[in-house]
Amino acid sequence: MTEPILQVQDLSTSFFTDDGEVKAVRGVSFDLHRGETLGIVGESGCGKSVTAMSVLGLVQRPGRVVGGKILFNGRDLLTIDAEELRQIRGRDIAMIFQDPLSSLNPVLRVGFQIDEAMKAHDKIPEPQIETRGIDLLKLVRVPDAARRIKDYPHQFSGGMRQRAMIAMGLSNRPDVLIADEPTTALDVTVQAQILELLRDLNEQTGTSIILITHNLGVVAGLCRRVVVMYAGEIVEEGPVEKIFESPQHPYTWSLLRSIPRIDANRRDRLKSIEGLPPDLISLPPGCKFSPRCPFRIERCFKDDPELVPVSEGQRAACWVMMERAYAEMGARTITDTRPGAASGVHPPGMAPLVAHESEVVADVAVEAGGSA
Amino acid sequence: MEAPSTAPVAPIPLPTPAQEPLLRVVGAVKHFHAGVNASVKAVDGVDFEIQPGETLGLVGESGCGKSTLGRLITQLIPVTSGEIIFDGVDLTKLGGEKLRQQRQQLQMIFQDPYASLDPRMTIGDIIAEPLVNFGLVRGRKQKDARVQELLRVVGLNPYFNNRYPHEFSGGQRQRIGIARALALNPKLIVCDEPVSALDVSIQAQIINLLEDLQREFNLTYLFIAHDLSVVRHISERVMVMYLGKIVEVSPSEQLYASQEHPYTRALLSSIPVPDPRVESQRRLIELSGEIPSPLNPPSGCRFHTRCPIAQVPGICADVEPPLEEKAPERFAACHFSDKVRTV
Repeated sequence: MTEPILQVQDLSTSFFTDDGEVKAVRGVSFDLHRGETLGIVGESGCGKSVTAMSVLGLVQRPGRVVGGKILFNGRDLLTIDAEELRQIRGRDIAMIFQDPLSSLNPVLRVGFQIDEAMKAHDKIPEPQIETRGIDLLKLVRVPDAARRIKDYPHQFSGGMRQRAMIAMGLSNRPDVLIADEPTTALDVTVQAQILELLRDLNEQTGTSIILITHNLGVVAGLCRRVVVMYAGEIVEEGPVEKIFESPQHPYTWSLLRSIPRIDANRRDRLKSIEGLPPDLISLPPGCKFSPRCPFRIERCFKDDPELVPVSEGQRAACWVMMERAYAEMGARTITDTRPGAASGVHPPGMAPLVAHESEVVADVAVEAGGSA
Repeated sequence: MEAPSTAPVAPIPLPTPAQEPLLRVVGAVKHFHAGVNASVKAVDGVDFEIQPGETLGLVGESGCGKSTLGRLITQLIPVTSGEIIFDGVDLTKLGGEKLRQQRQQLQMIFQDPYASLDPRMTIGDIIAEPLVNFGLVRGRKQKDARVQELLRVVGLNPYFNNRYPHEFSGGQRQRIGIARALALNPKLIVCDEPVSALDVSIQAQIINLLEDLQREFNLTYLFIAHDLSVVRHISERVMVMYLGKIVEVSPSEQLYASQEHPYTRALLSSIPVPDPRVESQRRLIELSGEIPSPLNPPSGCRFHTRCPIAQVPGICADVEPPLEEKAPERFAACHFSDKVRTV
């Protein structure tokens, strides 16, 4: 494999609030290779967006990166000075956000905003700028680009605005594009178009993409590798096929089973994950998923598991691992267990499911990240 | 009231049911005034029925009129024309107190669990408000007892009744909204995107809860959502809307296997499946252009400007296709539904 272009090592980011330190990201490490598409998935408050913001030095007070390294082409972005970081941000690493309407300035023409992104990093002669802006809009398939470049954001539809945002992100031909929930605010047909666009851009320009999303379907379609986050930590990481077909962390497994699939049997009851994610201010000891985990053992409540290799390119942080859980359930793969492992199935010899007794009458926890 | 619908009033698109439908919508039209000589045709001639105990799913993209239709049914906004016959009574003919009484049977669950609960009321007061309004509980004791019972039913701790909404997570708030909707023992609940704002693991909890409550209290749902996978899971039948019109109604099981309308086919092809192998095989039917403005919808079939099989110029641009039965229990509004499979 090629040299990683971006290496995140043991990154920790906290928000220092009146209620205490919200440990939003704890000890996150991953590599991004040149030309790769990496998905970061997880639910609200799992730290996926904060991780991306940390990479770009965009975490604002009361938040702060409290530890770790972010190596881009071998340089640590956390130690370089502000001007150097400004040079890299937008030119080498660009970001697009979830809500294209609030990310665009409503009183400036779309063309002006794309030009601005280019001018910030490059000295291009005026006449060339406009043609480059039009070329960029054409690249992201905005029809009638020469005319639309003079429009204001409100004259663009939601999908077109997101295309304009992507054009802006690509304006300096970055090596890395971080897309934070780029399609969440869009309709499915438009989402499909934007994902197709990102896929083509990755193939044609070789831009590495980090896609942050809660939508597992989107990840399955676009990414080659996936990082799964829960309560501020990576719980599993690996090639997309392995994550979806033989997930080893019970959280990944549970998440995949909880989504209704358009191609599944409609009569199957959804397997929800009972309970809520932990409060990031007062984290329990041990595995953070253990209170909701159907396969937990004694040890899970005491010791924090570390990411360990489970197969070629796949790592998971679990004391049990699904392989063992499957074996004891008499199943082999995730599909085998889909109908059989309805509620209450737990391998013999393991702690019974408390979640099913108390149901959801759990403590009223502040939803993780809500206070951040 | 004027009835500017250009469409002929289509026959009620259902086989003769064994029982009276709980809800029958006939030629519902809602035009919003938008300046001189302009109106947004949000719902433009819609006919359908919901049987007692059924879950009817309603899907479509932003701006297709699905939420407006939900609000017409609950009479939160008046119709421009058409009838909303609920339990044998046309709600559009009722007003004031009579409508208020009828609405007891007809409740709604909203999308945003943060905006739909008053932050300054305790959840006990929120849930009890409908009971108090209709004079169904007397005194604190009776009120608390009923609230606690409702909290238990939706899977919350019954002793939470003195807490405030901000103390709860999104999923828990949605349970509170459900408890409030259940308070008056309604027959029909209009669920407007009830899980769209929730994380997937919580979404599954709420969907399961809605299914359990339906069985327990014999509820009928109109389930509005943009997520076809969720709608297909919970609904017996799915209705697809495009630009204020119903383009297809079909039993959920059959909808994924085959479609009678090209828009449904394109919509289904856009849904990402959480399975990399399926995803690498998935063929996206990309629609050209964007959804036209409901201020000035296209002539003939409204989908013809984006349809891959439209005959333009020709019948599709000139004649509006009626919603017809194309196969048993399957209705679509398309001139060429036999060609949809070739898309």
